[in-house]
Amino acid sequence: MRKWIYFAIVLVLGGLFWWGMQRDPGELKSVLVGKPAPDFELPLLSPYRAEWGERFRLSEHRGKPVVLNFWASWCYPACYEEAPVLEAGWRKYRDRVLFFGINTQDKEAAALEFVRRFDLTFPQGYDPRGKVGIDYGMYGVPETFFIDAEGRVRYRHAGAIEAADLEKRIQEVLR
Amino acid sequence: MKRVWALLLLFTLALAQTPTGEPPPDLSPEVFRIASELRCPVCQGESAAESNAGVSQEMRRQIAEMLKEGKSEEAIKQYFVERYGEWILYAPPKRGINWLLWLAPAIGLLVFGFGLWRYLAEARRREAELALSEEEIRALERRLEEE
Repeated sequence: MRKWIYFAIVLVLGGLFWWGMQRDPGELKSVLVGKPAPDFELPLLSPYRAEWGERFRLSEHRGKPVVLNFWASWCYPACYEEAPVLEAGWRKYRDRVLFFGINTQDKEAAALEFVRRFDLTFPQGYDPRGKVGIDYGMYGVPETFFIDAEGRVRYRHAGAIEAADLEKRIQEVLR
Repeated sequence: MKRVWALLLLFTLALAQTPTGEPPPDLSPEVFRIASELRCPVCQGESAAESNAGVSQEMRRQIAEMLKEGKSEEAIKQYFVERYGEWILYAPPKRGINWLLWLAPAIGLLVFGFGLWRYLAEARRREAELALSEEEIRALERRLEEE
């Protein structure tokens, strides 16, 4: 009898351990998934004003899926790794998906240096306080939210995003 | 002697310093009290009151703004729960499965107490089993003397 109790305890603890190890730490499920994406209005960084105007309001861009990426120039190496991936994604899907970057808790000069360095052509907002990040329940940069054409949050990716992941999530919001 | 006095003076001055963790003058203690019940999203085991991470600073700023707007403490906490989930609260709300968390220390203590009681009872039983009665001792002594 006693042997069976010990066996059951080991089995339960082992099961818990196994379950914990299966979980992907990058897949931080956001409470916003399935809910309308919080609206925001931000000033754009200067290189994007000619094409997109002084300010960017999310709700004015309904009807197209949105890839919303939070980043900062001090977020090394994750933000530096994913910047070229995002830029390539934007160039591939720009007629079907809107990409928007939010530079968060950063200095403007450093942010401008970053977008120049990676030649980022998708619009970039400037949020030095990180207010929008809190509205999205952001833990830390980089984080990427995938919003469908109806304006609902479908997925949140924490950490640097890789090309295969980006492709997969874009296909999901395009469906 | 002079040196001792100088040292003493230095220590008293050090004691007079405001301890770290006290709110800077621009935010009210109320802000820090509410922030201390919210997690810093990017830290390990630090509240939004203690942490100096950018996101915690912004959380404190937003708490101050909401207090100024006349929002209640409950409404402010709810604002963060809607964005981060209940994870953001240091004290999980007392309902459903969360009761297990609140009762875990008591359950642990009970299990430990039960184990200890069983162990002691078993030890006493064995002791009683091994102990010899007066009669048995006398019988053994007799046998020893005979041999």
